[in-house]
Amino acid sequence: MKINKLAPTFLLLLTTALVIAACKKEDEEGDKSSFDKKALLTNLSENMILPAVNQYNEDVNTLLVDFQDFEQNTTAQQLEIVQESWKQAYLSWQTVKIFDFGPIRDIGMKGATATYPIDTSQVNDNVQSGSYNLASLSNVDAIGLSTVDYLLHRQGALDSLQNNAKVVDYTADVIGKLVDESNTITTEWSSYQSTFNNSTGTSSTSAFSKLINEYNRDFELAKTAKVGVPLGKQSLDVPLPNYVEARYGDLSFDLLRASLVALKKVYNGQSFETGNDGVGMDDYLVHLEENDLDNMIDSGFQEMIDKTDEFSMTLEDALENDTQRMNELYNMLQGQVVHIKTDMTSAFGVLITYQDNDGD
Amino acid sequence: MQKLLNKNISKALFSSVNIAPLVVFRIIFGALLLYGSIRFVAKGWVHELYVAPDFYFGYLGFEWVKPLPGSWMYLPFILMIIAALLIILGWKYRWSCSVYFLSFTYVELLDKSNYLNHYYFVSLMVFLMIWLPAHRKFSLDTYFRPGLRSESTTAWTINILKFQLAMVYIFAGIAKINSDWLMEAMPLKIWLQAHHNVPLLGEYLQKEWVAYVFSWAGCCYDLFIVFFLLYKSTRIWAYTFVIIFHLVTWLLFPIGVFPWVMIFSTLIFFNSDFHQTILNGFRRIMNSFSSIKRHQKPETSKMEGRLSPQRKAWITGLISIYVLLQIAVPLRHVFYPGHLFWNEEGFRFSWRVMLMHKEGYATFFVEDRSTGRMSEIDNSGYLTETQEDQMSTQPDMILQYANYIHEQYQGKTVTYRGQSFTFEDPAVRAQIYVSLNGRPSQLFVSKRHDLTAFTYDLKHRDWIEPFSN
Repeated sequence: MKINKLAPTFLLLLTTALVIAACKKEDEEGDKSSFDKKALLTNLSENMILPAVNQYNEDVNTLLVDFQDFEQNTTAQQLEIVQESWKQAYLSWQTVKIFDFGPIRDIGMKGATATYPIDTSQVNDNVQSGSYNLASLSNVDAIGLSTVDYLLHRQGALDSLQNNAKVVDYTADVIGKLVDESNTITTEWSSYQSTFNNSTGTSSTSAFSKLINEYNRDFELAKTAKVGVPLGKQSLDVPLPNYVEARYGDLSFDLLRASLVALKKVYNGQSFETGNDGVGMDDYLVHLEENDLDNMIDSGFQEMIDKTDEFSMTLEDALENDTQRMNELYNMLQGQVVHIKTDMTSAFGVLITYQDNDGD
Repeated sequence: MQKLLNKNISKALFSSVNIAPLVVFRIIFGALLLYGSIRFVAKGWVHELYVAPDFYFGYLGFEWVKPLPGSWMYLPFILMIIAALLIILGWKYRWSCSVYFLSFTYVELLDKSNYLNHYYFVSLMVFLMIWLPAHRKFSLDTYFRPGLRSESTTAWTINILKFQLAMVYIFAGIAKINSDWLMEAMPLKIWLQAHHNVPLLGEYLQKEWVAYVFSWAGCCYDLFIVFFLLYKSTRIWAYTFVIIFHLVTWLLFPIGVFPWVMIFSTLIFFNSDFHQTILNGFRRIMNSFSSIKRHQKPETSKMEGRLSPQRKAWITGLISIYVLLQIAVPLRHVFYPGHLFWNEEGFRFSWRVMLMHKEGYATFFVEDRSTGRMSEIDNSGYLTETQEDQMSTQPDMILQYANYIHEQYQGKTVTYRGQSFTFEDPAVRAQIYVSLNGRPSQLFVSKRHDLTAFTYDLKHRDWIEPFSN
């Protein structure tokens, strides 16, 4: 058997493959433009992540300053100003928390900023004793924006802040920790940005894979923690109001809405500040000829946001009094998870784990 | 005709051939085993895969195989590292192969979430090596017992390795003859485009025709490479292809040591002169070794003469059984109805390598039968990420996990806001959506089934929703 005798056979097979490819191509509309993941990452870090991180940093720093003003001037009016800046910070956090990798993951910021429900007795113990290490694992349920929520909005909050210096100190410390962490990631992100932009590989450690995996995780978190658990989805349909996020300040629906809006904007590659469209996951899907999926995901987000707007009461009240609508919302979230975590992730060819893999 | 066939078979099994290919194979494969074991430990996978998990997906019939407690799980890996070293040196060779085989296979049997075709391949090869006289030259065994030394071996000891490699390639090739692979270039179309930022090659990987060329070339390669390796005139070209093919897969896919295992194992197809040259090379490197060896007179083989007809019959019989099993196991899927990639019945142990892209989302529910109320299960509370990822698309694992959840909740009392519930024989349901080779996800398992009602066995699983193309 000679190699040159085999050449025609190979040429024939190669031609067959190309003919099939060509036939397939004719079915499609127009020519495919190429797609660059680097453009997606660059757009995202420049126009979404860094502005969001800066906004959050500005907001927590404002919260700190406003609280320091309150310490000088403990009036109900000044407390309202503090509450308002807490609200702004918590809302900006909804975008930042999507990006739980790189600098944010390094300092464990996602868990430290908004873990709920908080352990109120732990908070009260800390306040009483006046000696605590807020960075310790045992205090993970006694810190963050959710703890600030409790300290600023609980019944008799103004009274205790006016008359108990220990409460004021604790609140200042919790806010101070938020500010420190926020300052850290703001600095770190500006140096991490170029690493992020260039890490377009397919291994699970590439920034692109982490982005997609953490994006999925954050959406699931919105589904499970913001809606599912309070609604009783993990407790035999018994609603659990103490699992409502930011329940003292009644901000839960706003946070859910902000989280969905942030996820939608990231998906579409929109600018954090202007909302202008840039290269996003949607464009990648369109490039992969997954237009139907893109439409489903985009409209899915809008439907969920609209659904959230329909409620005319707090989430805590809706658990008991608007159960049907809550369930509808939950089912929408559940359906969307399948689209982004299964369909989108599989279209991108992103790996979830870093084990060896032979594709089965 | 019958006679001629018998004669050919007899020649393939019992003719006397130079032992050099077998000896080189021992050293090279031993080195791969050593590298693979050290790499596994160094990556921290022992802890991650065999210490950290709460639950393990055992194989049917082997669920009694359990991990050793805590850090004792490092023991089989230490044994593997020592055994691999001894295999290279050819010291206590058969014992070393047995120890490696048992340790490695034990670890593989613990959890099918970690199943890889190349792990199965390693198990088989080391099992075969136990029975092969690969230590009868250039080894510490012959140094200590010169009587063992032999310049020749019976042909089956080399041909069985070629056969095993042929099975891997040919069945991998046959598995690729399906419409997704050939007509849609799936899943390569997905996997290749993701690499568009690779230098030089990158821009082409996004092009559709490239995915088609890769798919067809890969299929042809797998189907025919063995035949080109078998013929002397095409061998060197074929081996060039082997190197290129596996290097490309190594560059593009997180496929671990598999490319190296194949690149080095296929050297067995080269003739004995080639291997003798390698051995001479080794000799020159290990000077002290060679000074002892040089003056040994090469023996002529007495092996064929030594084999009695009964012994030959036994060997022929055992080899026939092995060969038939190796052909039958990858074909067992034909006895199952439905779509193979969807149902995965008869999927493993069949050399289906890099064949499909399956992604799933699984929500499990535990149901209190007395009230009909359900709770969603947080999978991350029970499974590692890898386990959850594997489980959500594989029916047998779905069933095993459902039974595990049943065990966890059986008799358990939970209290939510003053309301208490006790689970008596709870039902476990699942709603699972799966996307196969880039198709839109579709329902894989419906919530209407109580999964605890099904037994885990080899029968067709009719509770999997039918696949619609």
